Amino acid sequence: MRIIKLNNQIKKRFIFLLIIFACFSTSVFLISYSLKDQIAYFVEPTDLKSMNSIENKYLRVGGLVKKNSLKFLDGNWVFEVIDQNQNSVNVVFSKTLPNLVEENKGIIVEGKFIDNIFVAEIVLAKHDENYMPQSAIDKLKEEGIWRGN
Amino acid sequence: MFAITPNTLSNFMISLSRYVILLSLALISVSIFLIIFLENDYYQGISFKIMFIHVPTAWLSLAIFLLMGISSIIGLIFKSPTAFTVARSLSPIGLIMSIIVLVTGSIWGNLTWGAYWVWDARLTSMLILAFIYLGHILLLHSFEHFQKADFASSILAIIGLVNLPIVKFSVDWWTTLHQESSVLRMGGPSMTNDYLITLLVSFFGIFMLTIFWFSNIFYIIVEKRKMERSILLND
Repeated sequence: MRIIKLNNQIKKRFIFLLIIFACFSTSVFLISYSLKDQIAYFVEPTDLKSMNSIENKYLRVGGLVKKNSLKFLDGNWVFEVIDQNQNSVNVVFSKTLPNLVEENKGIIVEGKFIDNIFVAEIVLAKHDENYMPQSAIDKLKEEGIWRGN
Repeated sequence: MFAITPNTLSNFMISLSRYVILLSLALISVSIFLIIFLENDYYQGISFKIMFIHVPTAWLSLAIFLLMGISSIIGLIFKSPTAFTVARSLSPIGLIMSIIVLVTGSIWGNLTWGAYWVWDARLTSMLILAFIYLGHILLLHSFEHFQKADFASSILAIIGLVNLPIVKFSVDWWTTLHQESSVLRMGGPSMTNDYLITLLVSFFGIFMLTIFWFSNIFYIIVEKRKMERSILLND
C-alpha cells in the first residue's frame, strides 16, 4: 500500500537531480582514483623500494625521525626517516629545521636522491592527531602506560 | 517543512534571535576563559590553541554546505521558496567560515609544519569548497530574476556536495601534511577531556552565532522581497 503518492512532476525532477549528482560523483571518483599517486602528498620509505629510477627525481618522503639519528655535522642536519616497516632513508639538510622537528616525530622531506643519500631542500614537520598536556603524560608515565620518548 | 512560508520562518527565527545571541555570547565568553587557562599541548606548546577557532569553523563550513545542498534539493524538487531562501542566506556565512578556516590554518601551519601553504589533498579541497561558496554567491547575483538565480545556484550547490566527503576523508584516503581527524574518528577522540570540552563549548558558541547571523540574513531577504512587491503593486 502506498501512502505517499508522488506527483509525476516531482518524480521527474528528483530523477533529473539524481542523474546530475551520480554523473558528477562518478567523474570525480574516476579522476581522483586515476590521479591517486599525484594527490598523495608524500611517499613512505617502503614505497621507494618498488619505485624504479628514483635517482635525481624530485620527491617527497614522509615518516618519523629515527631515534638517536638527528645530528648536526659540518653545518648540515643529518637524520634518518623511518616508517612502520622499519625501512629508512638517510637525509641531509643544510638549512634551519622547523621548530617541531624532533626524534620519533613525524617529518616530510622534499628533495632528490644523490648517491643514495636524500638531499632535502624543504623540510616540514608533520604532527599527529594526539593532543594532551604534559601533566597527562606525567600521569601516564607514573602508571607505566606511556610508550613515547 | 514545505508548508512553511519564508515569512513564518523569518518571524519565528527573529522572535528567538535575542535568546540565541545571548546564549552564543555566554558560550563564547566561557570558551575564551577556558582557552586562556588551558594547559599547553606537550608537543606543540601554545600554538595548538588556534585549534579552538580552526576546528569549529571547519565543522561549520562543512555542515553549512550540507544544509545548503539539502535545501537546494528540496527547493528544486518541491519548488519551495523557503528552501531556496535558506540556501541563499547560508552561502555568505559559509564563505566567511571557510576563509576563517584557511587563514587560521595557514597561521597554525606556519607555526607547526614550517609552511603557510602546501598543495596537499585536505588544503586543496578546502580551498575548492571556499571557491564553490564564492561561485554560489556570484551566481545568485548574476540574474535579474531571483527564481532563475535560485535554480542555477541550487544546481551548483548539489554538484558541490560531491566535494564534502573529499574534504572530510582526504586525510584518510591520501597521504597529507594535514593531521588526521582528532575528534570525529573511529575509536573516539584522541585528545584529553579538558581539551575536548573546551572545543565543544567553543563550537556551540560559534554555532549559535551562526544561527543568529543566519536568521538576520534570512529576515533581510524576506523583508526586501516584501518591499519590492509592495512597490510593484502600488505602481
